[in-house]
Amino acid sequence: MVMQAPSATSQAPSTASPQRQPIAAYQPDVDVYDLGAEVLFIADLPGARADGIDITFEDGVLSVQAAVPGRDLPGRGVRQEYGIGNYRRAFRLGEGFDASLIAADYKQGVLTIRVPRLAAVMPRKIDVKVS
Amino acid sequence: MSLIPFRTKRSSGMESGSLATLADFRNEMNRLFEGFFSRPLQASPWFEPNEPGRWLPAVDMSENDTQIHVRAELPGIDPKDVDVSVSEDRLLICGEKKSEKEASGEGWSHRESHYGSFSRAIPLPETVDPGNVTARYDKGVLTVDLKKSPASASRKVPVLTGGK
Repeated sequence: MVMQAPSATSQAPSTASPQRQPIAAYQPDVDVYDLGAEVLFIADLPGARADGIDITFEDGVLSVQAAVPGRDLPGRGVRQEYGIGNYRRAFRLGEGFDASLIAADYKQGVLTIRVPRLAAVMPRKIDVKVS
Repeated sequence: MSLIPFRTKRSSGMESGSLATLADFRNEMNRLFEGFFSRPLQASPWFEPNEPGRWLPAVDMSENDTQIHVRAELPGIDPKDVDVSVSEDRLLICGEKKSEKEASGEGWSHRESHYGSFSRAIPLPETVDPGNVTARYDKGVLTVDLKKSPASASRKVPVLTGGK
């Protein structure tokens, strides 16, 4: 997992625009669960290399990019139902999350990302004292 | 005074064109509804996402002179839950993708991936040797290599010239 710092070398007038890359990218299927203390993302990234997965959290936006090695089926194609390309997806989460505690795990082609909420924004139970 | 035709050629042409368009539209709607009612709801593409138990993994296939290679996207599936069986002209891949996280009662959730059992029968372009098949699962992708049976291997046939 790589946490990228905001780029300070951009010469574009607006640094808020996402970086554009000319390579074709596919949107992976992602399940999202709000578990209260954290938000859980489960993304299907079949064929992606573990060391090619890049996760960033910047300005409240969680971005996932994953590199997929090229197609290497030998011989001539008979059936082709899915494209081979890199994956890219982004989610706007907003404020209130602790970027330093984001954890990610990749297993069997599935990426799991846990984005914990800041303790300060978690609901707090307040005891009422009887005077 | 000149007679002004009640219906010009152009307007009648437009009308027949729009009628043809309407007929096309009606046929298309009939086809849609026939498909809608003749198939179970789960098999309709409109109901495909998020319906557990009804999904088909995407498959790629290639071949050379001696082998057939099949690759299927099966992310998040324990290899123990995948069953690959081969007959002479058909490859069957079935299994089950178990939900990693059941939606808990609290908080919202959004699901895009498919869960549940699947079964996909893939016709093979040539007969294969069922005893000579290897299957491998890596990074959510199942790869199956099948060896073509010798009987189906292409042979060069010499073309004889006519005459004696």
